[in-house]
Amino acid sequence: MAIEMAMLHDVARCSACRACMVACKQWHDLPADFSTPFNGQYQSHKDLTPTTWNLIKMNERVDAGGKFHWDFIKFQCMHCSKPACMLGCPEHAISQKDSGAVVIDEDKCVGCGYCRTNCPFNVPRIDPERNKSTKCDLCFDRIEHGMVPSCAKTCTAEAINFGTKAAMTKLAEERLKEVRMNHPNAQLYGVHSNGVGGTHMMYILPEPPEVYGLPVDPKTPDSIDLWRDYVRPIGKIAGVGAVAGLAGVFFLSKIFGKKGA
Amino acid sequence: MLIDNRYVPRHQKGFMICHWLNGVSFLMLFLTALPLYADTFLFVYNIFGAKTLQYMHRFFAVIFIATPFIGLCMARDGYSTLLKQAFSFGRDDLIFLLKFPFTLVGIEPSMPKQGFYNGGEKINILLQMFLWLVLVGSGLILWFGNGVIDNSIRAWMIPIHSLAAGIGFAAALAHIYLAVVQNPDSLHGMTDGSITADYASHHHGAWVDELIEKGTVTKKEIDAARRAA
Repeated sequence: MAIEMAMLHDVARCSACRACMVACKQWHDLPADFSTPFNGQYQSHKDLTPTTWNLIKMNERVDAGGKFHWDFIKFQCMHCSKPACMLGCPEHAISQKDSGAVVIDEDKCVGCGYCRTNCPFNVPRIDPERNKSTKCDLCFDRIEHGMVPSCAKTCTAEAINFGTKAAMTKLAEERLKEVRMNHPNAQLYGVHSNGVGGTHMMYILPEPPEVYGLPVDPKTPDSIDLWRDYVRPIGKIAGVGAVAGLAGVFFLSKIFGKKGA
Repeated sequence: MLIDNRYVPRHQKGFMICHWLNGVSFLMLFLTALPLYADTFLFVYNIFGAKTLQYMHRFFAVIFIATPFIGLCMARDGYSTLLKQAFSFGRDDLIFLLKFPFTLVGIEPSMPKQGFYNGGEKINILLQMFLWLVLVGSGLILWFGNGVIDNSIRAWMIPIHSLAAGIGFAAALAHIYLAVVQNPDSLHGMTDGSITADYASHHHGAWVDELIEKGTVTKKEIDAARRAA
């Protein structure tokens, strides 16, 4: 699919039913994940795990006026336009599809964890058993065959929308106006270009991003350019150079050493 | 008193152990992470398995971090000499450094007498101490920092860690070359703990003078050993 696609989570419409979490596990054949013990909390899992790539976060909050809020958000890979994970992968195991989906090739992945360290959203999880990095792949296999991602397919509240980037951007702008009537602080997230080039997982947030644990100003780190364009090539040249230099010095010392003797 | 009328005692056993712990753990750390540095070495992962090497990297990291602390218990004298010497870089050390490149190609210029460590060794000690701090600091942040330190900072640890490793490896190559190829006599100091009187006088004259002054060895012994060499 050569068209740029996007997913839009209309947070104000989400009822936190978590059907999207189940659909994700079904399509990707991921086992149930009991890593978080039940202590009366509403959120099913503490965080993303190697077998939970899509998580509805549920946070209880009392605002300055004493009013109670329940903040839901669907959290997974953001599918950045400038993906830090891909740019900083030493094995070139991560690629970006034409649709915008950022996908890990497990055959190439060595489980080093650089993708997680570089990710401004701290999304990828290394599966300790298989030593492979895991994350949402935007159901790239489904969308390349004209289907929508499994989470969007199952969403009954029409909170998860999926379509071309252009269509989703238009929908986001329209919905933002409506949401603002009830939530004056509502804003779009990832729809327009930002420090990560914009994301293909986009949001209409009723409240500012920090309320949902999202970075206000996510940025693809400059350290990746330093590492890829300077540290790695210079390191190689320095290694070869040091060996060549020492060999040169060795032969020169043989020549001059003999003269001196 | 010379050992076997030939060797000047130089390093205590604990100090030598720490030297080899540091050297071997650094090289193993370098090798186990090499596939992440250069695609050429991906075959190392393919042979031994990425997971195995990544665990080994952590194992040798513990040794690399622990070595100076082991040294403070086992080789207090050696480490205190090392620290005192490294932070007392003088005029003679500078002259040594300026003339040193000639010795690399086999020309022997007249050198000022050098202490326990010469100017080049002092630079290497300072560099290694600095790199240890950088490697350990950035490494620990990468290993344990998730959730504690933000990724916008942690991401910088990847190039910093790699760069320090690269510089450290280049320095290690030079160190090994100088010890094994250029001055094979010096190797005895790290295997047996002593160096020949001739080598000591030639490369660490000021230190030998100190030893004579302290009465650890006598000038007569040294001269006799040098004549015999």
